Amino acid sequence: MLQTKQLAYWYTDKDQYLFQDVNLAFAAGHSYAIVGQSGSGKTTMVSLLAGLDAPKAGQILIEGTDIKQHGLTNYRRDKVAIVFQAYNLFTYMSALENLMTAMAITNASHKGAKAYAAGMLTKLGLTQEQMTKNVQKLSGGQQQRVAIARTMVCDAPLVVADEPTGNLDEANTDAVIALLNQIAHEQGKCVIIVTHEPSVAAQCDGVLRLEHRTFTWEKQPAPVPA
Amino acid sequence: MNFIKRAWLNLRAKKGRTALLILVTSAIMLFVMAGLLLKSAANQATQNAKDSVGATLTLSANREKAFQKMRASQSSSSDGQPAARPSLNMAPVKLSTAAKIAKLQGLESYSATVSTSANAKNFDAITTSTGQMTGPMRQEESTGDITISGVTATASSANFSDKTYTLKSGRGLTVKDKNTNNVVINSELATQNSLKVGSTITVQNTGKTKTYKLTVVGIYKAKSTASSSGAMGGGMMASDPANTIFASYTFANTLKGSKYKNTADSVTFTVSTPAKVTSVQKAAKKLISSAYSINADDQSYQMVKASMASVTSFADKIVWLVAIAGTIILALIVILMIRERRYEIGILLSLGEKRGKVIAQFFVELFVILLIGVGVASVGGKFVGDKLATQVIASAQTTTTSNTQGQGGPGGGGQGGQTGQGGPGGAPGGQMPGGTSRATTQQAQAKQAKLATQVNWQDVALLFGLGLLIILVAILAGAGGILRLNPKKILIN
Ligand SMILES: Nc1ncnc2c1ncn2[C@@H]1O[C@H](COP(=O)(O)OP(=O)(O)OP(=O)(O)O)[C@@H](O)[C@H]1O
Ligand SMILES: [Mg+2]
Repeated sequence: MLQTKQLAYWYTDKDQYLFQDVNLAFAAGHSYAIVGQSGSGKTTMVSLLAGLDAPKAGQILIEGTDIKQHGLTNYRRDKVAIVFQAYNLFTYMSALENLMTAMAITNASHKGAKAYAAGMLTKLGLTQEQMTKNVQKLSGGQQQRVAIARTMVCDAPLVVADEPTGNLDEANTDAVIALLNQIAHEQGKCVIIVTHEPSVAAQCDGVLRLEHRTFTWEKQPAPVPA
Repeated sequence: MNFIKRAWLNLRAKKGRTALLILVTSAIMLFVMAGLLLKSAANQATQNAKDSVGATLTLSANREKAFQKMRASQSSSSDGQPAARPSLNMAPVKLSTAAKIAKLQGLESYSATVSTSANAKNFDAITTSTGQMTGPMRQEESTGDITISGVTATASSANFSDKTYTLKSGRGLTVKDKNTNNVVINSELATQNSLKVGSTITVQNTGKTKTYKLTVVGIYKAKSTASSSGAMGGGMMASDPANTIFASYTFANTLKGSKYKNTADSVTFTVSTPAKVTSVQKAAKKLISSAYSINADDQSYQMVKASMASVTSFADKIVWLVAIAGTIILALIVILMIRERRYEIGILLSLGEKRGKVIAQFFVELFVILLIGVGVASVGGKFVGDKLATQVIASAQTTTTSNTQGQGGPGGGGQGGQTGQGGPGGAPGGQMPGGTSRATTQQAQAKQAKLATQVNWQDVALLFGLGLLIILVAILAGAGGILRLNPKKILIN
């Protein structure tokens, strides 16, 4: 469902490219891990996939269409949900309000906004009290669960997470990865996770390594059961 | 409409910041409002001053010319021994000339003034101690103990119009009293001689050839200050100011002699538009010979105009200064605030929010703050404006007063005095035009002091528009730079 064609990116000097001629395909219903050394360009890659930046060369296709044709803003609104290491929540809102705001922006509020969002947060282990107080008063693990809940209430078929467990302890890490896998397997979305933790990579369906400016598959996901 | 909800959530959650922004915005709006109020109050006051502070043109004999003539005759006759007292011959103003001038555009009405003296016949003039002392010095033959002030109408005479004299009983003289022997006398004179409205008095001309019967139609009262200051300067005066009798100018002319028929010492024209006084004066000058001069008295108007102009320009400066300083301060605060919220902008963009709606959210937040600020300014602006107005007027009045002192001279020479009695050096007494113009100035100042600021919806609308402009500039300056970046740069670096 997501493809790259001759994708290339560099910051200042074309000869200093981070990667080029990248041809990859990601399928819906699977979770993928992107691993590699620090500074290799993982964040750069997923920000291209998330439509936060435009590639220097090549194309990114979503469901067969170049994302440029959607327009990056529309692409982000309709097709991608993003989870960052730093939770990226609105600090002046409660968890519930964060979810409802995202649903409003991405036009996903048709689901009966408030009850649906509250239900999702409950599923992720937040109490009624926790979801109505300011998000800054929640723990790191709780905040990351809110960020993941946000990707779950939006309709986007693609979920991109950049080191979502970077700030979390082992128990929270396992819970978050389990949730992301659940999104892939139960909601049928395509989930791409950047990580440098081998244990996280091991839980994903596919593992892609960026090394020496090239992507290589360490593990290909099994075909989706029909 | 989600951005409105976000704006509301933000304002509510960041109470401290919201309060600070409201405080700063209110302060800026308050001062801009005060400036706007002061400006419109000054404009209003200038307009009022233009309407109420009149300007006049006075046609009289050319004093300077007459002095030159007199000095010339003096030096030619100076052969060591004290020459005969030189006479100052001042040509009386012909009323036909005055009528011609009155037809000029921009002149409203005119009134004639004729001063002469007579001797009391069937009543006693008031004698003051100073008057007695100077008695022997007087030239008994040419000056009587009663001053006859001939006017067209008492209401238009300087002493009455500046309220130094007020009517106590009876009526004043009007144009209808032309060619009558009706008079208005001083209350002290009336009391001393038990005269009432309707009484008849007789006076004799200074040549002691004829007596005239006069009918008292009104009694006036002098302001205490005017009579006391008159008494102080009494050494040079023909008589106590209480001995001034107002009569029609025709009667004064009759007293002076047949050759004075249809003339006047001076004629005062009221200028309908004080701003045009100079051009009217120019036009009038063309109609008279060099033996006459036409002097403008628009001092009070000029002073009101000048001080109001300084208030207006001060108010203008306040508005501009505060608006510019306010824009800069508010813009800086907004820029800082938006920079601090850069990550929030990144999240919004990563969710696919449109840049326009990100701006709209900031706009709504500041709009609400502006509304409160304008509200505070509308309520408090009058207070600050009034305080400022008092301050500004106090300083304007200091300047005005010093102006008056500086310009005292020309006022004194204006009216040609009381037919030259008391010699060339003698400043004419109670009716000194200098005193008149000072009194008018005080009136004008009293009017300025009432400079009232009034909040009207136009000012509020103007303030609101200005505020909108300020926050728009501030938002664009603050958010413009961030929104030009791609979301990755905002979120990741
Ligand atoms: N804005 C930028 N301008 C220039 N170079 C940049 C910029 N951002 C990143 N880089 C460089 O690009 C390379 C890739 O950066 P990127 O953040 O994608 O690495 P990463 O694989 O995510 O690393 P990490 O595992 O530490 O997060 C790095 O060498 C970095 O120095
Ligand atoms: Mg990274």
